[in-house]
Amino acid sequence: MSKLGNRADWADDEEFDDPSALPAQQVITNKDGTKTVISYRFNDDNKKVKVTRRIKTSVVREHVNPQVAERRSWPKFGLEKGHPPGPTFDTTSVGENIVFRPSINWKAQAKEAEKDGGEKGSMKDQLKDKKVKCRICSGEHFTARCPFKDTMAPVEEPTGGAEGATEEEKSGTLGQGSGGYVPPHMRKGGAAAGEKMGGRFEKDDLATLRVTNVSELAEEQEMRDLFERFGRVTRVFLARDRETQRAKGFAFISYADRSDAELACDKMDGFGYRHLILRVEFAKRT
Amino acid sequence: MRPILLSGHERSLNQIKFNKDGDLLFSVAKDKHVCAWWSANGERLGTYQGHQGAIWTVDVSPNTVLLATGSADNTVRLWNIKTGECVKVWDFPTAVKRVAFSPDGSKLLAVTEKRMGFLGTIVVMDIKYGDDQLGNLEDQADEPSLKITCEDSKATVAGWSFLAKYIIAGHEDGSVSQYDPKTGDQLENVQAHEFDHQINDIQFSPDRTYFLTASKDKSAKLISARNLAIMKTYPADTPLNSAAITPKKEYVILGGGQAAMDVTTTSARQGKFEARFYHKVFEDEIGRVRGHFGPLNTIDVHPAGTAYASGGEDGYVRIHHFDKPYFDFMYEVEREQLRK
Repeated sequence: MSKLGNRADWADDEEFDDPSALPAQQVITNKDGTKTVISYRFNDDNKKVKVTRRIKTSVVREHVNPQVAERRSWPKFGLEKGHPPGPTFDTTSVGENIVFRPSINWKAQAKEAEKDGGEKGSMKDQLKDKKVKCRICSGEHFTARCPFKDTMAPVEEPTGGAEGATEEEKSGTLGQGSGGYVPPHMRKGGAAAGEKMGGRFEKDDLATLRVTNVSELAEEQEMRDLFERFGRVTRVFLARDRETQRAKGFAFISYADRSDAELACDKMDGFGYRHLILRVEFAKRT
Repeated sequence: MRPILLSGHERSLNQIKFNKDGDLLFSVAKDKHVCAWWSANGERLGTYQGHQGAIWTVDVSPNTVLLATGSADNTVRLWNIKTGECVKVWDFPTAVKRVAFSPDGSKLLAVTEKRMGFLGTIVVMDIKYGDDQLGNLEDQADEPSLKITCEDSKATVAGWSFLAKYIIAGHEDGSVSQYDPKTGDQLENVQAHEFDHQINDIQFSPDRTYFLTASKDKSAKLISARNLAIMKTYPADTPLNSAAITPKKEYVILGGGQAAMDVTTTSARQGKFEARFYHKVFEDEIGRVRGHFGPLNTIDVHPAGTAYASGGEDGYVRIHHFDKPYFDFMYEVEREQLRK
């Protein structure tokens, strides 16, 4: 019952008070001399977080040479003049941790460590014990140099090729076992009809106009200005010659809306632009 | 342990030095400024501006009031550590390769280069610390109180023994010699390292009764300051630029690496750019600390033995505060000793 009551209170707090206001910080002094500080804050997700900290204060007395203590108050001078106290990042940094354990047989340990480290470090050492093995006849030569290269197919390697084989089974219908290349559209998981490149432009094609008989001197921006009058143009493509950078004589204009495209097609077909008469039609799917 | 990287210098480091309390670290490099850092967090306290050439050496007075630097611009400069002001400039005919305060701070020695017809020298200056409030630090003697000329082989490094009783110098030919700081007479000379292998660093134990030399002949040697007897030898596989004795734990740290000119053709691993830790008594190598991308030019240990710093040819200073395994490591005999 009390629990429920508590909960209601908490909800009240949440709903009826200003949600952005945080409860005041509470400081409770415990019997054992510690203090409990309860404070609230918002975290990164803008959620209210209650932070409870127990603080124990202990006085550490340190005996310092009075001269050293006096020196601590010296002001900075020279290049550091006027800088605030504390190390600056441009002159002082902390290096990575160094493990330093003195030991009598240090030399033997260091040698061992070097051996371990060395094997990982050098590719040459790593491959030292590896042997060349032909995938066709398992002889000690590269597969490309195999005398049976043209007459035999590679043998299946049960150990080394296990990973590759399972993948092949998953995705391959044709050429299974032979290990040959299977085009994506002929794989089991692939779409039967195959995905066409640029499939994601399908929707755009409905609102794309093909403009031909465009002047060589045409600019993309000009084309955009010309066609933007009829609606929002999402894409302007002006074909250019790769070497001369001149327009090739055709362009594609994509509209956001099919009706705009229809209007533009209607109006712009036969429009005189730069000494030529434009021909505008809906782009056909090839 | 996570090293603190100090990138205040644009060129390779030449020397770094903790002050006596270990709270400050001073670094000099081939670029023209001296940096002062807080060793605890790597914060830069300031820079000392004024040198016109590469700075080869730095030392800090025992009371952390004055800082001495020696540079390729043929000067030794004395700085007020607190304010960063230059309080004194001594001019020499050649570059200064090493400066060192005497244990009580009343004297400063400087090692000058042999060049342009001038022989290498070791000069000693008297240092005054002004009045009670450490004002008037500019009041310093203009002329050195002593000048030792090295006629056979120039000195490359030098330092003071216990109670400033001797000046110990390491030479270009690999020998170590002992001078009387009052008269300037050479008392002893020992061919400690292989002939013609320059001594690159000399660092003293906390009580200054023995010292450690690092040489190009790929070894470091622990030598008694009293009679120059070689007590320990630490062989390495690379020329050494610096060697330091750690207080608190009985280790020595050696640093070196291939000469800077051969570095580009080798990887960081082959270059041996690691700080090597040896046990001071047993002479065994007990571990290495990696990190630098170039040879280590200089190493210094926190006077309390809780941290060490290294400066490399790569222009970085790395301060390492030791963690637990460093302090826990013990030989079996040491452990037995402890149980008794």
